[in-house]
Formats: sequence, C-alpha cells, structure tokens
Amino acid sequence: MSSKNTPNSNFDYTLVFIILLLAIVSCFAIYTVQPFLPSMYEGTNFVLQQIVWYILGSMVIVVMMLVDYDRYRQVSWILYGIGMITLLMLFLNVPAPIIHEVNGARSWFIFPGIGTIQPAEFMKVFLINMLAHVMVSHNEKFKIRTIKSDLWLLLKILVLSLPPMGLVATQPDLGGFLVLCAIVACMTLVSGIRWRILLTIMLTMVVSIGIVVWGYINYPDKTKEIVNNLGFGHVESRFLGWLYPEAYGDSGYQLIRAMLSIGSGQLTGKGMHDLEVYIPERHTDMIFSAIAEQFGFLGASFVITLFFLLIYRLIHIGLQSNDQFGSFLVTGIIGMFTFQIFQNIGMSVQLLPITGLPLPFISYGGSSTLTYLMAIGIVLNIKFRTKTYMFD
Amino acid sequence: MAKEKQNKSHLPFRLNILFIFVFVLFAMLVLQLGVVQILNGEEAQQEINKTSDTTTKLSVPRGLMYDRFGRIILDNEPVRSITYTPPKSGESADKRLDLAEKLAEFIVIEEDQEELKDRIRERDKKEYWFLFNADEATERLTEEEKDLENGPQYQRILDKITAADYNEYDWSDKELLNIVAIKKELDQAYELTPHVIKNEGVTAEEFAKVAEHLYELPGIDAATDWSRETVYGNTFSNFIGRISSSSEGIPSENSDYYLTRGYSRNDRVGLSGLEQQYESELRGIKEEVQYTIDKSGAVVGRETVVDGQSGNDLVLTIDMELQKELDVIVQEELEAALQQYPGSNRFLQDALAVLMEPKTGEILAISGSRYDREDGTYSDQSFRVIYDAYQPGSAVKGATVLAGLDSGVIGIGTRIEDKPVKIAQTPEKSSYNNLGWLNDRVALERSSNVYMFHIAMRLADATYRYNEPLYGFDWDSFQELRNYFNQFGLGTETGIDMPYESVGVIGANQQAGNLLDIAIGQYDTYTTLQLAQYISTIASDGYRVRPHFVKEIRKSESEKGQLGPVVKSLNTDVMNKIDMSDQYINRVQQGLIDVYHGSRGTASSSSYWGEPEYRKYKVAGKTGTAENDIYENGVKVGNTENLTLVGYAPYDEPEVAFAIVVPRNGKELKGYSPHHNIGKRMMDAYYNLKEERAKNGVSEEIDESVEGEGENEEVGGQE
Repeated sequence: MSSKNTPNSNFDYTLVFIILLLAIVSCFAIYTVQPFLPSMYEGTNFVLQQIVWYILGSMVIVVMMLVDYDRYRQVSWILYGIGMITLLMLFLNVPAPIIHEVNGARSWFIFPGIGTIQPAEFMKVFLINMLAHVMVSHNEKFKIRTIKSDLWLLLKILVLSLPPMGLVATQPDLGGFLVLCAIVACMTLVSGIRWRILLTIMLTMVVSIGIVVWGYINYPDKTKEIVNNLGFGHVESRFLGWLYPEAYGDSGYQLIRAMLSIGSGQLTGKGMHDLEVYIPERHTDMIFSAIAEQFGFLGASFVITLFFLLIYRLIHIGLQSNDQFGSFLVTGIIGMFTFQIFQNIGMSVQLLPITGLPLPFISYGGSSTLTYLMAIGIVLNIKFRTKTYMFD
Repeated sequence: MAKEKQNKSHLPFRLNILFIFVFVLFAMLVLQLGVVQILNGEEAQQEINKTSDTTTKLSVPRGLMYDRFGRIILDNEPVRSITYTPPKSGESADKRLDLAEKLAEFIVIEEDQEELKDRIRERDKKEYWFLFNADEATERLTEEEKDLENGPQYQRILDKITAADYNEYDWSDKELLNIVAIKKELDQAYELTPHVIKNEGVTAEEFAKVAEHLYELPGIDAATDWSRETVYGNTFSNFIGRISSSSEGIPSENSDYYLTRGYSRNDRVGLSGLEQQYESELRGIKEEVQYTIDKSGAVVGRETVVDGQSGNDLVLTIDMELQKELDVIVQEELEAALQQYPGSNRFLQDALAVLMEPKTGEILAISGSRYDREDGTYSDQSFRVIYDAYQPGSAVKGATVLAGLDSGVIGIGTRIEDKPVKIAQTPEKSSYNNLGWLNDRVALERSSNVYMFHIAMRLADATYRYNEPLYGFDWDSFQELRNYFNQFGLGTETGIDMPYESVGVIGANQQAGNLLDIAIGQYDTYTTLQLAQYISTIASDGYRVRPHFVKEIRKSESEKGQLGPVVKSLNTDVMNKIDMSDQYINRVQQGLIDVYHGSRGTASSSSYWGEPEYRKYKVAGKTGTAENDIYENGVKVGNTENLTLVGYAPYDEPEVAFAIVVPRNGKELKGYSPHHNIGKRMMDAYYNLKEERAKNGVSEEIDESVEGEGENEEVGGQE
C-alpha cells in the first residue's frame, strides 16, 4: 500500500483561486454600493473591514489546516457543545448585557471593541462536523446495513440536528434554520441510508406541503389560524409577499425594489456607481441586486458561474476523498453553500420568498465570512490529506 | 475490505446526484435571471423611468383692506416658516438626526453663536453622544436597570453619560451646534402635526434652498404664512373681524361647506366681521402646482396647473381719520358722564354712535364704547351698534307722523290737543307737559307723545273717550304701524354687509296701549344702525338705502399700498322707496328741522344745538328719551333712560346722517346729555375734517396725535 502524500501537489490551488476571485468581487461590490448606503453608515469603510475579515479568514484557514482533519472528529462533541451552549445562552437571554437584538431577533453576542458574533453561523460548521463524525462512527459500527440500523442512524441525525434547528428558528432566524435543514438533508442523502427510507421521507414531506397548500386554497381562514397558532405567522407573510408582491407591504415592497433593480440592469448593466433603485442596507443581503443592476446579466452570470465552479470543485474534492469522514464534511459544506447561494439570489429574482441570508463570500459580514472561510479551510485540509492510492 | 468497499460505493453515486441537483438549481437561477434581466429588463427600466404626478395647492396672500381714501388699514405680514411633520407613529432618533444633518446644510437656526450655545443643554449633548455610542452607554446599566421600562431606562442611561463622554465632540463647532439645535426642534414634533422649526428670520435664501430640497427632506415643508396686521391697532378691528390660524383651519362645524368650496382643512378662513362676510373675495385662488416625481422620489418637473391669484382687496367706506376721532369722542363722553354722576349713572355702561352718508348708505364711522365696572376699563365694542337693540323713545316719531299722514288719519296741519290720555284700566299717558293744541309739525318740534297716541288710535279706528276702553280697536293696526316703520328700516334688517345683525325685538303682547307705546318708541326695540337707516331714509326723501362698509372690491396689486383695478363697485343699493308723497316727507322734514332750530325744539336750546356754531351745521333730526327700568332677577333696581339722538345735515342737501344711543342713563339727570355732547363733537369733527381736506387734501398718513384710546384694552371681537 504505497501512497503519495506530497503536500504541494495536494494543495488545491483551484479552490483558493476561486475564493480569491470571490473575495475580489466582494470587495469591489461593497465598494460600489458604499456611496448609496444610509448616512448612518457614513464614516465606516466597509471595503476595508471586509478585507480585514478576509485576512482573518485566511488565518483561520491556516489554523484549520495545521492538524489532520481526522482530529476534528475528536473535538466534534466539544465544538457541538460550545455551539449549543451559545445558542442556549441566546435563547435564555443570559448574560443579557452582551446579547444584541436587531429587529426583534436575538441572534448576536456583542463584544465591545471586537464586534458582534452570530453563533448560528458557526453552528453550521459545528453541526456538519458532528453529523459527519456520528455518521462515520455509525457506518463503522454497522458494517452491514439493515433497515433497523438505517433508522437508528436517522434517529441519531435527528436528535443531533433538531435542538440547534429549534433554537435558531426561535431567535427567530428563518434563514439560519433553513440552512441547517439544507445541511442535514444533504448529509442524510450521502449517509448511506437506503433509498426506500429517503424516498419515504421525501414523499411524506411533499404530501405535508401539499396538504398545507391544499388547505390554504380551500380553507384559507382555518389554515391561516392554524399557521398563526403554530407561530409561523411571519413565514406566511413572507410567502404572500413573494406570491403577491404588489399586495403585501413589507416583504412585497423589498421584492419589487429588488426586481426593479436587477431587471433594469438588463444584459450589460448600467455601469459602476449607477444605481437608480434605492434599496436599504445594500452591502449585506441585497448585494447581488447591486451587482446585477450595475453589471447586468453578464456580471450577475459571472458571479453565479464562480459559485457553480466553487460547488463543482467542492464536489470534485468530495469525490476524490477516499475517506468517508472527509466526504461527509464536504457534502455538508456543499449543502450549506448551495442553499445560501440559491436562496439569496433566488429571493431577489422571485424564485423564493424573501429571507434574510447573506450571499456567501460576497455580502459584507464578519461572522459569516469567517464561517465560510473556516469551511473552506476544512475542505482544503481534506484535499490536502487525501491519499491517492496508486492502484485505485 | 470488500464489505467496506461495498459500503462506500454509494457515496460517489449520491454525490453525483447531489451535483446534478446543484446544477439544476444553478440553471434555474441563471434562467430566472435571464427572464428578469433580459426578457423583462426593459419593462423594469420603464417602470423606473415612470413618473407620478402630485398636485400641491399653494396658498396665496389674502386680500387687504383700505379705508375710503385708500389708506391701508389691514395688511399682511408675510412670515416664512420651515416646518416638520413627523409620519404616523413618529420617526426614529437616527432618522431625525439624519434629517437634522441634511437640514443643517440649508438653514442656520440661530446666527448668534452664544445664543446657539445657550440653546443646547447638557441633556442635548448627552443624547447626541448616545446616538453614536448606544451600545457603550447601555453597557453601563446594572442588571436591574436593564429591566426598567424604556423611559426610566433612557433617563438612567443619560445620567451615566459624563461630560468627558460628550466632550469627545467639539461643542464650540458652530455646525455641530446647529445640527443639534435642529434635531432638538425635530424631537419636539408630534406625529402628523406640523411643528415650526424656524419661522423667525428665515432668509429668502434659506427658504429657497429648503424648498428646492424638499424631496430629500421627508416631513419638512417650507411654507409662507402671513399674519394679519391691523395698521391702526384696535380701531375698527371689531368689524374687520378675525380669521382662523392655520392650526385652527376651517371651522369643524361647517367643514363640509368649506371643503366643497375647495378649502383644505388647515386653510385660514374669516370667522367674523368683514373677514367672514367677504371671505370669497379675500381668499383668492390657490395656485395649483403639479410636481412630477420619478420612482426614486426625485422631483423632475414642476408645472403650474392653476395660476394663483391673490385675494381681492376691499376698499371700505370708513373714513379712518374720522373713525379714530369718533372713537375718542364716544369714549370721552361716556367717561365724562360716569365721572360726573357716578351714583345716578350706576347702570350706564355703553355709548354708541354711527355716522353714514344718507344717500349712499356708506358708513363713515361707527363707534361704541363700553365701560367695564369690574376692572374700571373702557373697551371698543362698536359691534353693539348693530348687535344691541334698545327702545329709542321719541326718536321714531318722524316715522309715526309719516304713517299718520300717509294713512290719512291726519292731514298736514291737523291739530290735536295735547292733554293726558287715559284708557280704562291703564295708567294715564301724557307728554312731559301738557302742550295744548298743536299740529303735526309742532308735535315733532316739541315731541308730543299725545299727538302720536292719537295717530295710533286713529290708525286702529278706535273711538277714544277719557277713562273708557278703546271702542272698535282694529288689531291689524299693530301690523299696519310696524309695516310703516319697516319701510324706514325699523324692526327689520338694515341689510348691512355683516354676517350678523340684530333686528331688534318686536313686542309680542297685543294690548291696545302697546300700539300707543310703539308710536313713541317705547315698546319695540331697534339697533342704533336701524335708527341711522331710518333717519337717512327721511333725509334722502324716502329712499331707504342699504348701509354698507365696503365700497369697492379691487384686484390686488403686487405693490403694496397701490390700489388695483376695480373688480366690483358696491354702489348705492336702494332697498325701497317709501310709499308716501313727497309732500308728507317734506312736512316731516320741516318738523325735524324745527327740533334743532325751532324756538321750542327739543334740541334747540342753547345748551344743545342753539349756539350759532352748531346752528351753522343745519342739522335736522329728533331726540329721544325712553324709560328703561332696570330689573335684576325680576326685581326693579333702578330707573334709567335710553337717550337717543338722530339727525342729518345739512337739511337742505343732506350729506351725513347719524344716530347716537346712550342707554341706561340715570333718570334724575335732567339736563346732562351725553348724546347731545357726542352729536355736537361728532359734527365738529366731521366738518373740521371736511374743511381741512378742502384746504390740504386728504392726508396720506393719519396724524397719530388724535389717537387717544391708548388705554383701550384688547377687544376679543364679537364672535
């Protein structure tokens, strides 16, 4: 069993190059919207700050690569625990002084002098690591898959994922919750659980969604009441704002503005700094609309292509890895990115309801950028330590 | 190993499925992006370019008022103001600061730096610091304080901000001070209610800059307001009336009336006096401007849809110089009567006088003074001339005699013996003396009551015998006599151009004796203005003209003090010509001349109008004295008399007529006659001015030395 493990040849320059391009796009896009930000942000140089986040993120990548990613398994419970504790602290509102509430969502810790930290972001990576570890352990233990062992694995996945999902959902942070769902869904898909079980789950979900939609069409009042009682009132309004933007004020208004902005960019865009449609807080969740308006379909497609190359590269690395743990990690990360990208861009072109999610690598933001670079660090680590079996 | 391999084989397959799924999602994104940008992109751009129009109505200056000689008496003082109207449920502190910063680029709220510094208190500085350091400030709270309600918590936060904190900012920086001072004003505004940020000393430049940038200043408005300024203070202000302020707006009880006439709710409208009467002329036509606004909210076009037109100006009939003098005369004579006989005049409180042209109905001066016993002050309450009605006494006898002549119950020269009249079960009625046999003309000169009684009884076809009931009394005679009186304006509307006038009280009690009392002015009540119209009707040979305050309505001129072209002349309006032959009118005029000039006339003694200096005015008219018992809570507490004097001059070519009423004089005071004093001084004033003007022309400016009502207190107006 000879193996070649030359670090240089295994370092994934392609992935790093893609991330570098995304970083440049991010800083440039933030630079173009800076003059259009509300005047309360005057004096804050977001480009500079984003560069700082990227530099910090690079260090995180280096740190992530220092140890063999196999070691992550050993700390998976600790990281998961830390993530859960921080989410619980937010839920219980202790310690109150460092908890930061924005628009009624309690999602941040605030550290004077450092800034804000959003535990839900880091929890995404911690949960990926946790699930990958549990799935690998399970698969090692039950070499021969049975229905029983599959269900047992499914139960483990659910027990580990539901608590953080619940805590994030109650913040409330619908976007974060959906990302966790996407991660769990992707990882469950590759976990090895039999198709019949997976299909049953999918069928159940399709039927339940069908029932809600059917109920909504035929008994709108009753369904609304139930939806509201279950605490999904704001979800309903997002859906209505998506389906009938003209009629539903808040979220509908955002959608209309985003559509106007993106649409008017047309094929080639209006040019740099030519933003006609006012959208508040454009440097964060709505940054894609700024790119699409200034640089048109071509510019926007370029960004989407970059993202597609990124995912393609991730899948490639996942496939290359001959270690289950590594593949599972990559799969979780693919789920996380894919969902965020699709949701963020999709919501501004009326493919999906409006949800507050940053566009990975592009939107301005500390916690999110660090989290995504940490994920990239994990992937680089996996690739770096992938042994190529000569006889494979 | 084989098992592991088998176990692992699912992974690449499932990852590929995932990849296909990802590919599909990304394909959807690009597809949808293509639909939005390429397929519908042009439409979106058109939508952005699409503009919307909003029409704004801009108020125009209200019309001014001038006196009969074109001297401005009611002016507009323009006031530029910059206001802030917060949206429903207010605006966040951040947004207000944002707005203050923008506004500070255009206006300076206080030029003087020291004044500006004084405006900013420590709390304002703390609040400013807090806006930028909210997190740090909130850190400082203890756990318990964090559980406090917002209000007290905020106070605690401010308490914990120290001078060291807010001195991070340079509080000698004029721009910073200006911003904070503006924000302070913004903070004070209530939702949906305009709050004035600056209205003193707003320069034209500031105003224009703010107006240009309104679209980026949500809630801010730059508006021109004006305040009405009576140039001669209180003089005549009773009749000028009052308008609502823009915060009062249109009267809520009549809002439909105004709204259907194109008013906005916060428009200022006349609420009383001429301001109300001539509202439609004074208001003008609002300028309507259509602003074109694109999707981003920027104003891209401005088009005037309706040209505005300033309100029309009013030229009044009032002679402001004479008006001021009459005010002084009336008040001084009232004061004199009260000072000389404080005891017997304990019920005296008013003196009223009006001077008008008998042939045109133009009112030259109108005055009323009231003494307030509570605080010992006099105030201008000239509105009582048209609001308050009194029994005038004998002043109406000219109408009674004309009624007798016209109905044929007496003829010219009919002689009747003046001796006490007694109808069974009623008190004896007589003149002040038994005057013996006299004819109609002498009856007027000497003011015979008995002669009038007989006219009344003959009108009623009644057979009179001393101390017997009146036989065959025709009750229609009440109506007949009142119809005659109405022809002179007594007991009916004079038609004055005011929103309200009193018509007096028509006695409801039909007793034969009351008909006799009507004939001597001791039953029905009349306003001073009605008496003036009555005497004017006789003076102008039977033409009853409408008394009026407004002579002309003119277009406003941009140059102040310049009269514009006449829009409408309010000429002499003859309401009716009394239905009597000129012969009879002449006869009564003769009698009225005798009152002032005859050897035994009631006004002709040397203490009244007998001196040559008054005879030369050639006044004709009638005196009147009506008993007016004062009751308080149904108990009679005093005997007083209403003293009246009506007249016109000169009797051969009348140019001026007057009526004077001084109600509730002490009865014991035979000989002290405030009404004659007022009348004589009024004639002096009128003729002196006339002589003066014949020599020097009408003075542009009114000599302020005649202003003597400095002690007048503010009069609230008649509403």
